[in-house]
Amino acid sequence: MSETANKIRKFVIGRFPLAQRGGLDDAQNLLQSGIVDSLGILELVNYLAEEFDIVVSDDELLPENFSSIRSLAGFVERKGQPTGATD
Amino acid sequence: MEYLTHHLLETSASTDPSKEALVHGERRLSYEELDTLTTRLANALIDAGLQRMDRVGIYLEKCVEQVIAMLAVSKAGGVFVPINHLLFPDQVDHILRDCRPQALVTSGARLESIKGILRNNADLGAVFTTTASDVSLEGKLVLDGETILARGAADPPRSRVISHDLAAILYTSGSTGRPKGVMLSHANLIAGSRIVSTYLKINSEDRIVSIVPFSFDYGLNQLLTGLEHGATVVLLNFRFPNDVVQCLIDERITGLAGVPSFWSLLAQPSSSLHRHEFPRLRYITNTGGAMPQPVLAKLRESLPDTDVILMYGLTEAFRSTYLPPEELDRRPTSMGRAIPDTEIYVLNEHGKPCAPGEPGELVHRGPTVSLGYWGNTEATNRVLRPNPMSPPELRDTEKVCYSGDLVTMDEDGFLYFQGRRDSAIKSAGYRISATEIESVLVAIDGVREAAAIGVPDEVLGQSIVGIVVPHDGETLEIDEILTSCAEKMPRYMMPKHVEIVADLPKTAHGKIDYQSLRSRVNSGGNPSDES
Repeated sequence: MSETANKIRKFVIGRFPLAQRGGLDDAQNLLQSGIVDSLGILELVNYLAEEFDIVVSDDELLPENFSSIRSLAGFVERKGQPTGATD
Repeated sequence: MEYLTHHLLETSASTDPSKEALVHGERRLSYEELDTLTTRLANALIDAGLQRMDRVGIYLEKCVEQVIAMLAVSKAGGVFVPINHLLFPDQVDHILRDCRPQALVTSGARLESIKGILRNNADLGAVFTTTASDVSLEGKLVLDGETILARGAADPPRSRVISHDLAAILYTSGSTGRPKGVMLSHANLIAGSRIVSTYLKINSEDRIVSIVPFSFDYGLNQLLTGLEHGATVVLLNFRFPNDVVQCLIDERITGLAGVPSFWSLLAQPSSSLHRHEFPRLRYITNTGGAMPQPVLAKLRESLPDTDVILMYGLTEAFRSTYLPPEELDRRPTSMGRAIPDTEIYVLNEHGKPCAPGEPGELVHRGPTVSLGYWGNTEATNRVLRPNPMSPPELRDTEKVCYSGDLVTMDEDGFLYFQGRRDSAIKSAGYRISATEIESVLVAIDGVREAAAIGVPDEVLGQSIVGIVVPHDGETLEIDEILTSCAEKMPRYMMPKHVEIVADLPKTAHGKIDYQSLRSRVNSGGNPSDES
């Protein structure tokens, strides 16, 4: 959990620096505060694909999966059984 | 006869009062309700001291009150100034100082965030809030809009302006300086609505979803076409692509408009767009930059029965060209040809028409050419000039709009975008001046000099690279620079990358040499592909 969360935190801080205001807490809501907008969601989706090899379907693009670093990390853990290289 | 912006609403309200006009989430307003609320707010604005031609800033996220406010200002004979809800206090301050509004319409929460800049604004007489607020501003009326909309006077105010008068100011950026206010008359707005609704065939059966902000000419135009024809306009703030897909289904949407980055979002492989059918969706339109070809192909595959209409416009001329959907297969990369009642010239640097295929500047002639920039005659005269194609006797009777966009025209009159003549950055549908970003960068501690450039980006059109030079002996941290930017500017203006360099290339006149900077970054002199 913490390894995944750390990676995501680093990415979020780099791309959405406002998240850092007042110290970034893993439970902070990234959506309500306007830190991550619709294009930001797309950046997050692309990041999850590259970093964790996870394909996010539209049905999974939900506030409960994307609202905080903690929920993102939980989502990645649930989705991401290490598949490794397939060929 | 409809010659003022709010007349479009009034006519539809008298034709079919109970017809659904506006939807936002759970809220649904009929044309009659919308018209009544608009009248009440117009009366309240006049009671609060609004004179003819006074400006009214409207700083709200997409909501019913935003539409009511724009139309109420028109009814009261004032000038509405939609302020993009994404802007930060610094940018809002610039707009308020520039156009000196007499009144402002905003929400309680937004008022809290900008009260500091309002206290010193001498011109502002009244603030109307859509939600409760306990902010008090000395010497200014702070009025609760909810009460006004529930109980205000319902007799329409006497008309105080004519169609030539200023109706709206839309702020937009050029290649340098801070955003400028493009002045649009009632005649401009009504011509834009008539022309666009003609080629989109808007009718009272239409249900149009509004995503693009009203501070953007395209978003405003979309609303007006709907009101003109008694259609239903559905306002949507969305975060996830599925919010849009769900809205298309639930609200039985017939028309959808977006900018290229929006389509990239909606057409991505995992999108639920590909798993539904949209038999009611009659058309989609794109503007604000070229739609990437793979995105276009995907949309056409998922929406086989929907017309895709590519459009182009610049705020200074409101709307300019469109590609009829039947031409899309033949010319998928074209931005189309002139909209009805409009002429487009492609002129070379000597002001002469270009041969087919020869790049030149797009020049727009027609009833949507704006009145120029608010309070900036010099900039206006650069963009709006006498028509070089008219006989000399007529040359000074009208102004045409020099777009700054380089295009080519094919043998059949269809246009193809080639690039900007200046260094304006175009990202996520926004025109952004390098100056706006640079002024934030140089204000950061330890930064001596800064430049901002646009580099190609698959989703955004261009993404922004900030280049900073530290003061002697200072070290700069990229993360800290990004954080400082994020506190001062909306996300669409944020540099995607920041590079720290020892010096900036200069021209012989000592100005930043953007061309050499761009080629330096593009050639990979610094890492600029991925962070």
